[in-house]
Amino acid sequence: MRLAGLAVLTALAGLSLFLGVSDLRPADLLTDPEARDLLWISRLPRTMAAVLAGAALAVTGQIMQVLARNRFIEPMTAGAGSSAALGVLLTTLLAPAAAIWVKMAAASFAALLGSLGLMALIRRLPPTDPLLVPLVALVYGGVIGAIVTFAAYQTDLIQYLGTWLTGELSGVLRGRYELLWLAAAATVAAWAIADRLTLLSLGEDTARSLGLNVQLVTAAGVVAISVVTAMVVVTVGAIPFVGLVVPNLIARSTGDNLRRALPLTALTGAILVLGADIAGRAVIAPYEVPVATMVALAGAVTFLVLLNRGAGRA
Amino acid sequence: MAQRLAWLALALAVCTAGYMGLGLTGPLDFILPFRATKLAALLLVAVALAVATVLFQTLTANRILTPSLMGFDALYVLVLTGMIYGSGVTGYAGLSALALFVINLGAMAGLGLLIFTGLMRLARRDMMRLVLSGIVLGMSISALSQFLQRLIDPSEYQLLQAVSFARFTQVEPLLLGLSALTILPALVLSWRLRHRLDVLALGRETAQSLGEPPQRLQRQALLLICVLVGSATALVGPFASGGGGPSSFFGLIAAAFAYRATPSHRHAILLPSAALTGAIILVGGQLVMERVLHLATPLTVVIELIGGATFLYLLLKRRAA
Amino acid sequence: MPTFRTLFPALAAAFLGAAGAQADPVTFDTARGEMTLPEVPERIVVLDIAALDSITALGVMPAGVIAPLYVDYLPEALEDATRVGSFFEPDFEAIAALAPDVIVVGARASTQVDALSRIAPVADMSIGTEVLAEGKARLHGFGAMLAREDKAAELAAALDDRLVALRPRVADQGGRALIIMTNGPKLSTFGANSRFGWLHRTLGFDMAVDDVDAGNHGDAVSFEFIAEADPDTLLIIDRGAAIGGGTEAAEATLDNPLVAGTRAARNGKVIYLAPAELYIASGGIQSLNRTLDELTAALGAE
Repeated sequence: MRLAGLAVLTALAGLSLFLGVSDLRPADLLTDPEARDLLWISRLPRTMAAVLAGAALAVTGQIMQVLARNRFIEPMTAGAGSSAALGVLLTTLLAPAAAIWVKMAAASFAALLGSLGLMALIRRLPPTDPLLVPLVALVYGGVIGAIVTFAAYQTDLIQYLGTWLTGELSGVLRGRYELLWLAAAATVAAWAIADRLTLLSLGEDTARSLGLNVQLVTAAGVVAISVVTAMVVVTVGAIPFVGLVVPNLIARSTGDNLRRALPLTALTGAILVLGADIAGRAVIAPYEVPVATMVALAGAVTFLVLLNRGAGRA
Repeated sequence: MAQRLAWLALALAVCTAGYMGLGLTGPLDFILPFRATKLAALLLVAVALAVATVLFQTLTANRILTPSLMGFDALYVLVLTGMIYGSGVTGYAGLSALALFVINLGAMAGLGLLIFTGLMRLARRDMMRLVLSGIVLGMSISALSQFLQRLIDPSEYQLLQAVSFARFTQVEPLLLGLSALTILPALVLSWRLRHRLDVLALGRETAQSLGEPPQRLQRQALLLICVLVGSATALVGPFASGGGGPSSFFGLIAAAFAYRATPSHRHAILLPSAALTGAIILVGGQLVMERVLHLATPLTVVIELIGGATFLYLLLKRRAA
Repeated sequence: MPTFRTLFPALAAAFLGAAGAQADPVTFDTARGEMTLPEVPERIVVLDIAALDSITALGVMPAGVIAPLYVDYLPEALEDATRVGSFFEPDFEAIAALAPDVIVVGARASTQVDALSRIAPVADMSIGTEVLAEGKARLHGFGAMLAREDKAAELAAALDDRLVALRPRVADQGGRALIIMTNGPKLSTFGANSRFGWLHRTLGFDMAVDDVDAGNHGDAVSFEFIAEADPDTLLIIDRGAAIGGGTEAAEATLDNPLVAGTRAARNGKVIYLAPAELYIASGGIQSLNRTLDELTAALGAE
């Protein structure tokens, strides 16, 4: 299953490198320096961005669901997304002249601060009521989101924020997506502690009796999630659905063993996002359909069919 | 419990009086009927959404979900975006309020029908699967409207921006009457479900063994939720933040406050308590928005900001004490 | 509601009585056809920035305006006018308290014309996509409404002079142009039928890309698209420029090798247009002048 996935991903990546507004054929690379520039400046970064963002979003979605013990939650809803929006808004207002990558880095940093704030809140909650954590996260995200809307409403920046934060890869160029490598690093780090996260999904008391430092593992998981979400959101925008649906599909087939599930989750996420971006480039060329729209439309149909076909058998 | 409900009712009375009486500067025979219409809409919508949220949370046995998940808010925004995308600012402005209401209610009813005939059958007995399907549906609807919103020009967007948030600036009495015709009977029916909902809240197996087949009740309650949320949204617009969030903050906060103000499992308590809390939040929020913020920001933002912050504060204060 | 019907004619009658018998009715054109007021309005409520732009250019101060204004060139004296709501929501109570002679609305408030007309007569002065022509028509309408036809004609003539001076420069140096809106790192392009299309249609810039999609909307595009279109002139609108903001943010977005390689960038024909003038006050006489001046300055360098 993994090998087949890798083969599909490689084929899609090849297609992605040679599909775009300008004509670019593999043969041109040998003869035409401009063609090599195009590949290097535009096509390769875009392909990498799709793969990295897809994999990272899917993996952090799964970790989030394990941590919150709730299948319906994804990082975007729990404060990380609205903190990232706040970061984008602040950099736009305070440093309009900064280079794009500086703005992205600053916005990610703001989002990280927002997530740390959430951590501080959650630490003060009683451990008795497991539903309280996601509830507080939702409310916290809502409050930050309200601050963002309030400020953006006054400064006429709502559409601007909406566009920046819609998942779309058309703005990706060399020098404007490299933060995603950091997101990928955080994702790998999360995979490294996957076994401990799996233990956590058995319930805190069980995990503690097995010798797990629950606080530390939870903290590491939350930090990884917020780093990844912040960086993906400010570099390419929010891609809905990947963090929610891919983990749900994978969990249905492989169960809750994270170490086994995560590579497959990452692969599926990457294929979904890259495939959707290729389709988005092709359908109304030379114009584009954002990857978020393609994922939501194509992915939704697939998901509904898969999910409910399973229901027929059950 | 009855005493707590009385306190809530008193708080609501204070909010209502403040809303009607504060800052009366213009001609009274314009302002008083004007405010009374808006107040009626606020109360109607608050009660409809709060009751729908409690029903939904009992059905799903999950207190962080709200009916917004089923895609009503997202659909409302998509319909508006589509109309503005298709006909531009001047074309959209040519539509009467009644036409808009009918179009929206029609779309909501269509979605309700889809949920019943399509998703219910597909998802079989599995409530979780139904909810997940609803989330996915809502997500794709809002992704589609975000795409259209990216393409429309800024002046069109500004028109859309105002209508993508629930608003009570001015309420057409005719539409208020029409939505009361659907909401009030649905509220009466919801009230009559209260004991059966108590049984369902004990869990599926228990409910089954007590002679209360969950499936039938779930179908009836979902239908009521669709009517309540659909009518309220068609009247004033969506309560989910920016039309995009997966969770309607208003319903979430109203229910969460109600569970804490009157900690009970009996729906005879929970339903009125949530209705009162919801009305306090909505009337109070509109009061702040009109008198303090001079309409500079949407009502949902006021609710999220003040309601959300208060909720977090109360939660953490109680913990510290 | 019968109360309005009894109250407002009574108020109007009171005004008529005070003004004496010599008050003459004024008739003027709105976006919805001709409209007549019993006399030149004294107390005006304005809910639209483009209308405010033209009315203040005629030297008239409204009694009530919305806030914030989002553009920075309107007279400071507007600060003293009563605030009657925001750009998004009219404050019905504040408007009723002012008892205005006329309420001027634009497209954004035109869904509320029925409700507003219970308070006072409503003049719908919306401007559609023929921004220049409709802007001039509304200016003329305001001139008639406020009995300042001469001033209006003078302003319209000055605008025409600018246009006459600009058109040959566009024909000479503008070449094939592409309208790009920047949104942080992302781009949209707008064609000849869009809100910004009058830059092509009225000023004479050629299209750098044949408008495949003939609709009145923008399209999401990549930097590769700009490089491939290789326009002679890039007209840049920055959606993210906060009120009164400069061009730095859009410059940062466009600072990349794909844009730098275009003819427009090599010849210094990347023109940043002030965004608020193009969509918030779009069609106001002062905003039109300012946009034309920006283009004249950018194209006049050679």
